[in-house]
Amino acid sequence: MAQNSSDQYDWTDRVRIALSRYSDDLFRSVAGHLVKPKIGQDRDDLLDRVSETQTNAPVIDRRIRELSPGAQSILRLIGLSRLSDWKIGHLMTLGAASGFPEGFAPIESLIRAGLLYPADSNQDLIEDLASWMGLCGTVTAPVFVHPFVLNRARSLNNKTVEVKNRVSGIETDGLEWVLRIAAAWQRSRSGAIKTTQTRSLFKRDLARFQNDPLFQSPLTDLSGSVTDSGVLAFEWSVALGHFRSTGNEFTALPEIPDWSNGLWSTLTHLFSRFFSIETWDPRKGYVTYESGISPTPTSALMLFDSFARTLDEPLSPAQLAAELWELHPSWSSVLTRDDARQQGVAWVESFLDSIAFSLRIVEIVPGTERRYRLTAFGRSLLCGEPEPALPQAFPQTLTVQPNAEVIAFRQGLTPQLIAELSRFADWKHLGTACTMELTAEATYLGLESGLNLASIKQTLDRHSMRPVPANVADLMRRWADKRERITVYPSATLVEFLHAADLDQALSCGLVSVKLTDFIGLTADGQDPNFKSLRLVGNREFDARPVQCVTVDPDGVTLMVDSSQADLLLDAEIQRLAETLPPTIAHPRQYRITPQSVRTAIERGWTHDELEQWFMIRTGQALSPTARLFLNTHPLPAPATATCRIVRFPSAEFTDGIMQWTETRSLILERLGPMIVMIEEHNLAEFNEQLASLGIPLQML
Amino acid sequence: MTQGLRLPAKLHRRVCFVLTEDLVLAEELLARKKLAGEIVGRLSDRVLLIRPGRVEIVIEELRKMGHSPQVVGRAGS
Repeated sequence: MAQNSSDQYDWTDRVRIALSRYSDDLFRSVAGHLVKPKIGQDRDDLLDRVSETQTNAPVIDRRIRELSPGAQSILRLIGLSRLSDWKIGHLMTLGAASGFPEGFAPIESLIRAGLLYPADSNQDLIEDLASWMGLCGTVTAPVFVHPFVLNRARSLNNKTVEVKNRVSGIETDGLEWVLRIAAAWQRSRSGAIKTTQTRSLFKRDLARFQNDPLFQSPLTDLSGSVTDSGVLAFEWSVALGHFRSTGNEFTALPEIPDWSNGLWSTLTHLFSRFFSIETWDPRKGYVTYESGISPTPTSALMLFDSFARTLDEPLSPAQLAAELWELHPSWSSVLTRDDARQQGVAWVESFLDSIAFSLRIVEIVPGTERRYRLTAFGRSLLCGEPEPALPQAFPQTLTVQPNAEVIAFRQGLTPQLIAELSRFADWKHLGTACTMELTAEATYLGLESGLNLASIKQTLDRHSMRPVPANVADLMRRWADKRERITVYPSATLVEFLHAADLDQALSCGLVSVKLTDFIGLTADGQDPNFKSLRLVGNREFDARPVQCVTVDPDGVTLMVDSSQADLLLDAEIQRLAETLPPTIAHPRQYRITPQSVRTAIERGWTHDELEQWFMIRTGQALSPTARLFLNTHPLPAPATATCRIVRFPSAEFTDGIMQWTETRSLILERLGPMIVMIEEHNLAEFNEQLASLGIPLQML
Repeated sequence: MTQGLRLPAKLHRRVCFVLTEDLVLAEELLARKKLAGEIVGRLSDRVLLIRPGRVEIVIEELRKMGHSPQVVGRAGS
């Protein structure tokens, strides 16, 4: 799996970070080679100086010239590739393939000269280079070169030639891979592409790209098709930075970045990122290597170098293959048996057709024997010649048909237009005239990427030969309207006001633009509001643990919410349990538990235990007896009623005696207090007699 | 707003929720068993609070239902 594009780096900073991992001895040795520091110079100052020197042309040129021929050759080749990040194994291969089979020595000299740096993400101190390589893998250890150093290494070897009386060759428009990469990015938008732990594609995703008819179709200017062109297009798209990588998943970015600088810039970017793809072979298609090192990038680079060295001279696949066969240390071992029998000529021809020719770097020279030579763009890319003029623009190149298909005539397409169209229309067929389709799904994804219906329509109108048919415009409007029906906010900030009137005021002055409830509003983008107009009385995270924020009235059923502490879930929870009461000045948010509201909560699935738990978390106390009374749904004996008399005695001691004396105890129904008892009506006369026998008859009131 | 007057307010951050066009649509979503399981509360007739960390599952389920949810302020987009 190719790594993401690293264009976003602050390269000088990256050099500084890499250097800060060096042990003091190693760092001072590197600094000594590159900048010749003063004795005893502070390490931090020296770090700044070494990293800033990466963009100092005279010093860099001098250091490159001081390198051994093997190290110079490796640096020149990676300069030719314009790719900063490589693996040590690739560099050793490039050394050998260019006639310097010296193993790690020239690479070590590049690191010690301060022109090449470790690129692994470890933070460990690097004491010596051998142990660092042992840790990161002898061949897979990643390294990088500052892009400025790459440019210097390339320009020191630029050669130009005056092209005279040249018979024009057959060249492509260079858009084939631009289109295929855009299509691969587009097809990956509906869901993340997953990889295994070893970074190879999941079978389902692999099959998706392999079986897609669009990618199975032959290249437009060639009769043959490219093996696994869909997989290559996806890997290329990843290498170009069109995806966000999270663990073992690749998620497509909302749009294709960096295709707005014209065809040559886009093709140059594609060219450099091709060398970071390790899972594709021109003959075998998708392939993974146990060693983690593919010979394709280095073989491809050596082929481009052959063209750069021979300038305008046409070269045949056999000539190019012979050189690779002789010098490249690993290429011949991965060829199929049939290809090896011809010393890899078919591999070279396949590579030239599918990549070099399709990227418009080489053209096919007319004649009986198949031969290739650099195009004007190829000479600017590899030999430092000025860029040729851009192809003539034909802005009106689309036709939108009433069946919602879009015909895109290739001569008017540009990388920027391809990137724009890919956001809202599905590529169906690639050829001289490409076909796209406007669908509900594609329109939806286009709108989700940040476009709006007006901008989609504008793109179509600007590039169409005829106006967009009314039925298609209507269809797109309906698709767009459908999207307006449900809005999901994955991480919004809600603003809760203390009074409904405050929210209305905030709405009228644009502080918030969406009213969610009587008290809660939201900005249009769901982000923070303008704090200058607010006095914050609370700040809660939605996913924080629930807190105690409800007070229970002594009646046990009236609940009063502390607005400053309450979270959003509280309202949702409390409304399931209690009825809303009209707000008062002292308590703007209060609720009451009623038998009906408790019954409804139980019907909606709340259990007794959950209610008890909720009360404890939100009020800090157990469920009130009144609320518990409402909860009591088990059948109980019916409460009994009877006519009784209350007898109040003069003292508790007297009452104790009456309760203990057997003659009176049996006549008492219940003792209600220290001096009060209850007697049933029919026992009253006998009770009175017993008291009279004690000389204290009842006084009837 | 009166110049210099600042409205007292409380912020609820990182809230994930679905806002529907109308009550009927919200009811339709709640009737979908898989979606209902991801809804922790209802702020109003049209506002359904999503269980934290389950937004992508909700969006996927909405798409499976044939809806085209507009996602506002997705992290990283």
